[in-house]
Amino acid sequence: MVELRAVRHRYEGRVVLDLERFTVTAGAAVAIVGPNGSGKSTLLRLLALLERPSEGDVLLDGRAVWSGAHRGRPALGLRRRVTLVEQRPILLRGTVRENLEFGLRVRGVRRTEVNRVVEDVAARLGITALVGRRRHELSDGEVQRVAVARALGLEPDLLLLDEPVSSADRAAAQTLYRALEEERRRRPLAICLASHQLEDAYRWADDVRALAEGRLSPVTPENLFRVELPLEGANGLKQVRVGAILIATVTDRTGPAILAVPPTDIFVSREPLPSSARNVFTGRVTRLARPRPGAVHVTADVGVELVAVVTEQATRDLALAPGNLVAFAFKASAVRVF
Amino acid sequence: MDFLGEGFRRALSLLLSGDREVYGIAFLTFKVAVVATAIACAAGIPTGFLLATRPFWGRRAALTVVNTALAFPTVVVGLLLYGLLSRRGPLGGFGWLYTWQAIVIGDVLLAFPIAAALSAAAVQGVDPRIRRTAETLGAGPWRAAWTVAREARFALAAVITAAFGQTVAEVGAAMIVGGNIRGATRTLTTAVALYAAQGDFGLALALGVVLLLLALLVNVALQVLQGRGGSRG
Repeated sequence: MVELRAVRHRYEGRVVLDLERFTVTAGAAVAIVGPNGSGKSTLLRLLALLERPSEGDVLLDGRAVWSGAHRGRPALGLRRRVTLVEQRPILLRGTVRENLEFGLRVRGVRRTEVNRVVEDVAARLGITALVGRRRHELSDGEVQRVAVARALGLEPDLLLLDEPVSSADRAAAQTLYRALEEERRRRPLAICLASHQLEDAYRWADDVRALAEGRLSPVTPENLFRVELPLEGANGLKQVRVGAILIATVTDRTGPAILAVPPTDIFVSREPLPSSARNVFTGRVTRLARPRPGAVHVTADVGVELVAVVTEQATRDLALAPGNLVAFAFKASAVRVF
Repeated sequence: MDFLGEGFRRALSLLLSGDREVYGIAFLTFKVAVVATAIACAAGIPTGFLLATRPFWGRRAALTVVNTALAFPTVVVGLLLYGLLSRRGPLGGFGWLYTWQAIVIGDVLLAFPIAAALSAAAVQGVDPRIRRTAETLGAGPWRAAWTVAREARFALAAVITAAFGQTVAEVGAAMIVGGNIRGATRTLTTAVALYAAQGDFGLALALGVVLLLLALLVNVALQVLQGRGGSRG
C-alpha cells in the first residue's frame, strides 16, 4: 500500500532516516520498535505524507506520491487515506466533539452521519463522557484516546500510531488495542505502530521491525546495541564493549555501528558449556515473556540485558525462572553489525 | 501650566459642541486608517503565514527585509511615494498626489511590514503539531492555515491593533503625500502638527484627544470580537 524506496531524510544536514525499502501492505499490522531518536516518528511522518523525504520515493498503491520527478504536494485525496496520531497528540481548539468532527467536516460529511460516527467512535474508545470537554480539561492519557478516536472515525486505509499508549494506564491501553482489533476485523485497515515496548509490539503486530539510528535492523529487534567498533582485531575478530561485557564479532567495519545479537542464535544453559562459541556470559534471569504461543523470551542480566528465545519445553527442562543463574552463548559470526 | 488647563477646556467644548471640522478630520482619519489597515493586513498576514510556514529559497532574507522595514522612517516613505505620485513620477498619471488615497498608500507601505513580521512571529509561536494535525485529519492548505490562525487569534488580533495604531498615528508620509489640505486630506495627526505650530494648543489638544479615543474605540472593539471568539482552548 505505502512504500518508501531508497529514502534518505535529513534534518539540518544530518541523516535521520536511511531506508532502502519500507513497505506497509494493505491490512497489515506492523510495529516499528526502537529507542528514542531512532527515527520512528520521522518514518511515520513520511508514511503519513506530511513530510517530503530529502531523497527517494514515496509510493501509494504503486503510484509515486513523492519522487525525484514528482516534488509537489500529494493530492488531498491521497493524503486523506492515511492518518497519523502523533506521540504527543494535540487537540485542536474547541471541544472533544469538535475535534472528532473536524476530519469529517473537512470531507464534507453530512451532519447526521457526522453525529453517528462521533457517537460510535466515542463509545468504542470509552470517551463518551469527554465529548463536551475542552483540551485543557483532559489528562494526557485522555488526549491520546481522543486523538486515536479522532483518527479512527475517519476510516483511513492506513492508521499510523506513534507510541499510542505512552500516557495510558493499563485499562486504557487495553481499550485502545481492543478498539483497533475490532476495527481491523470490521474492515481492511493497515496499522503501523511505533513503540519502544517490544512486548506490546509482539503481542499486537503481525510484523515487528526494528529501527536503529534511522536504519532498519536486519534481525529482530531485541539485543540491539549502539557501539564503537575498534580499529584493530585479530583475524577479523573484534572485541566490542557493550555495557559491562565484551562481545566478540567478525567484521572489518570500524567506528560507530549498531550491533545485533539474534535471540534465536543464543544457546541457553544452566552453566557454561564447552563449545566453539566465542561469546559465553553468565547472569541471572530477570524476566520471562511469552509474546507468541510456543516461544519464550528469556531476558537475563549478563552484564547487559540480553534476550534469548527458547521453547516451552526448554524453559521447563532448564527450570528457567526469574532469579535463576543462566549461561548465554553465541558465536562471534552470529553477531550482526550494520 | 494654565495653558494646559485652557487647552483641555477648549478640547472638551469642541468635542461636545460637535464641531464640524473636528469631526470631519476624525472621520477622514478613521476612514484612511481602516482602509489602510484592511489592505495592509489582507496582504501582510498571508505574507507572514508564508514566511512562517513555507520553506523557500530566500526566506531568511525576506524575513530580514520585512523586519528591517519595521523601522523604516515614515518621512522617507512619504518622500519616495511623493516621487512616484508626483506629476513627473511613474504613477503621476493617476492623479493621486494630495488625495486621501495617497495617504492610504503611504500607510499601507508602513503597516504592511508590521502585519507581515508580527503575523510571522504569531504563526511561528503556534505549536507545529496543530498544522500537522489539521493536515493529517484531511484539511487542505487553506483549512490548515485557518486552523493555525484560530490558535494564534490573540496574537493576530494584536497584529491588527498594531497595524491600526501605525496607520492612525502616522504623520510624516501623510503630511508629504496628503498635503494637509483643509477639508480634503487633513488627518488628526497632520492637523495636530499644524495647529500646535500655529499656537492653537486647544484645538491641537482636542484633536489629540479624539485620536486617543479613536484608538481606544478600535482596541475595545477588537477585544469584544476576541471575547466572542472564546478565550478558552
